[in-house]
Amino acid sequence: MNVLVTGISKGLGLSITETLLEKGFNIYGISRTKSDKLYNLLKKYPENLKWLKYDLEDSDNIYKTIFKEWIGLKTPIHGFINNAALAYDDIITNLNINRLEKIYGINVFAPMVLTKYAIRHMLLHNTKGSIVHVSSISVHTGYKGLAMYASTKGALEAFSKNTAREWGEKGIRSNCLVAGFMETEMSSTLSEDQKNRIYQRTSLKHPVELNSVSETIAFLLSDNSKSITGQNIHVDSGTI
Amino acid sequence: MDKRLLTIINTVLLNRGKKQVKKIKSKTNLRNDIGFDSLDLAELTVRIEAEFDIDIFEDGIVNTVGEIISKIDSKK
Repeated sequence: MNVLVTGISKGLGLSITETLLEKGFNIYGISRTKSDKLYNLLKKYPENLKWLKYDLEDSDNIYKTIFKEWIGLKTPIHGFINNAALAYDDIITNLNINRLEKIYGINVFAPMVLTKYAIRHMLLHNTKGSIVHVSSISVHTGYKGLAMYASTKGALEAFSKNTAREWGEKGIRSNCLVAGFMETEMSSTLSEDQKNRIYQRTSLKHPVELNSVSETIAFLLSDNSKSITGQNIHVDSGTI
Repeated sequence: MDKRLLTIINTVLLNRGKKQVKKIKSKTNLRNDIGFDSLDLAELTVRIEAEFDIDIFEDGIVNTVGEIISKIDSKK
């Protein structure tokens, strides 16, 4: 199975890539940078891991560069994992429109364009593909300073649900993995006190394990989840 | 080119479990005569793009076989 994954150089994207490679998936991974860990992973899986340096801020060349020239129209895609995202931690009264436009470009518009071409690719090969967007618990539970970021993920959840309805007839599925707070670079700007308060709001009183998210994504890609679409699957240490 | 287009149209019809067509004319309407719906037209677009390297729906709606052919011809 060939799977396109974005934002694979660090954090959750790296963990997802590692898990999927261990399970025998072929990964077409995109990131802006090549971290040491990604470099090592590329050496470990020279056949199954293909990497492209691409900045999703450039949404105009997504079809040509990623789908046509890199993956190629002859290679079927069975899954698309939209993981790449920018964080934006500030209160609403400090909202900066340029920053907001930038995170919408990366977190919303680029994934929508990627989904467009992933579906087109699936149609070309008659593939019953699976799309998974990584969303955030901040969509469902308010946090001070995350309104702008949460709004981008909320947009994705709406997009995913409608993707599921529109393309279900072709066997194409779309789900969101609603991740709780993890110990990654994304949450590194939060203070220890802020983090502890967030974790205290969860049932398990713990940050979300990257592995738990990655394994759920592998499940959503597999045939074991073939009756699951249009859903938001929470992996959030029980934020209720 | 008509033959290549006919093959593509029939592939899309077959994938949806619809009855295939024997011939197409310039005036043949994609929705009314062939029976394509929006999902079929999406698949048609993708297959034409793979074969002829042109996105027929990029700048508006296409209704007939003749309109597809003129789009492909304009690309040459």
